[in-house]
Amino acid sequence: MVGLFFTLVSAAGVIRLPDVFSRAHTASQADTLGAGFALAAVALTIGWDSTAAKTVLLLFFIFVTNPTAAHAIARAAYEEGVEPWTKGEERR
Amino acid sequence: MCHHTGGGLVVGDDVAPPGLLVPVKRSVTLRKTVAYAIEEAARHGTDEDPVPVHFVFLATWRDEDPGTDAEKKGAQKLLERITLWANEDQSEFGAKSSVSVSTTTLGGEAYLFDPADYAKILATYASEHELDRVIVDPEYSLVGHTTLVQPLEYELTRTSLRVDEAPVERPTRRNRLTGRTSKGRFIALFGTSFLFYQLLGGFTNFIGPGVFDIVTGAITALVVALTLSNISFYREPTLASSPKRLARGLIYVPYLLFEIIKSNLIVAKVILDPRMPIDPRMTKVKMYVGSGLPLMTLANSITLTPGTVTVRANDQDLYVHSLLPAARDGLFDGDLEKWVRFVFYGRSAARFPSPRERGDTEVLQEPVATDGGHIETTDDAHTDTTEDEQ
Repeated sequence: MVGLFFTLVSAAGVIRLPDVFSRAHTASQADTLGAGFALAAVALTIGWDSTAAKTVLLLFFIFVTNPTAAHAIARAAYEEGVEPWTKGEERR
Repeated sequence: MCHHTGGGLVVGDDVAPPGLLVPVKRSVTLRKTVAYAIEEAARHGTDEDPVPVHFVFLATWRDEDPGTDAEKKGAQKLLERITLWANEDQSEFGAKSSVSVSTTTLGGEAYLFDPADYAKILATYASEHELDRVIVDPEYSLVGHTTLVQPLEYELTRTSLRVDEAPVERPTRRNRLTGRTSKGRFIALFGTSFLFYQLLGGFTNFIGPGVFDIVTGAITALVVALTLSNISFYREPTLASSPKRLARGLIYVPYLLFEIIKSNLIVAKVILDPRMPIDPRMTKVKMYVGSGLPLMTLANSITLTPGTVTVRANDQDLYVHSLLPAARDGLFDGDLEKWVRFVFYGRSAARFPSPRERGDTEVLQEPVATDGGHIETTDDAHTDTTEDEQ
């Protein structure tokens, strides 16, 4: 449930935030806490088992790859010359 | 033979080059490359008009970073050895006074990432010292264990320098593989992959049918360790420091999780707020953690925490986009930086002034235009470098 909540917030954020950079923030939310809580729940349901260990491993890889992907997107946007949105500007 | 007079726009094969630049790193073909460079210089130099040969070590560290003394000493030693070799070669080719040898270390002021950065530093240095030709060791590697000669050569050909690869005999791949791996790396990688295999296999009971997993696991781990131990591990794993670093990393994880949850809640609240009180800004922070893995850990930790995204790592500067003033403050307080320093260098390195106290933070209110910004910052770094060298 908690995981679902954060994923939902993240999706709302992607729609509501004004530009690429701020959307990248919220996308990392879905992965960290959204997937985090979901996978933790899976691990707890399964109980002390090797499958649970694999779930933790899965989480680890998500935690490594997610920021890398977010960084890649943000960097690509930056290199392409996308100007970050600042306060006071009109929403795009 | 025609003598070269200044400038030197078009340099044919028969014209004496005003000087040679040789980037050096420890490699199996280094000795021969040095000999080739001296021989080339000796062909053109005369006693009245000696040809300068500059051996340049490009730093993979930054001078302020902790724990880089060993690397610096290594570089110094290598350059001393090269001077000895060069002197030997000078006597062999009868070029005691027609070739002048000098050595130096470049690039300790900034993290250098791609071959373009290295090429730029070399080109600046070459024009300062009126060198017009680069001789590249075919086994030259910029960082760690990866051979990056081709991209470097490509970047160098885009400058006004003439680029040659030293025509030296290269050992076979087999030799290179064993040359760069080590016992420590091998054992560590074998252990890691074996454990990983057992984890996936589910640690079946070690008696009876479980033996199958152990045997196949050992074979797989052996293959992995044999083929990949020369490219894995950023620095040599040692019994003394690696487990400690790993343990400190394990302490770091709960802290990072706590930070993630905390900032997740803050960001979630902001997003669900109908007024959406965000105030995004691009910021630039100078981080002192050491290049490579530590910097990657820090940048990824920053990105993992909602509210801050690392946009670009340019030299030592991290360009971080932050969503909220609170996230920005947290970033400038440098807690993550301290933790990463703690993980990689121990408790003493963690006591370090925060970026805010150091004055290493900068809010780019009006974000820098892509190209201008980059060139400006890298140029600054380069001028610093050359000024210090003189």
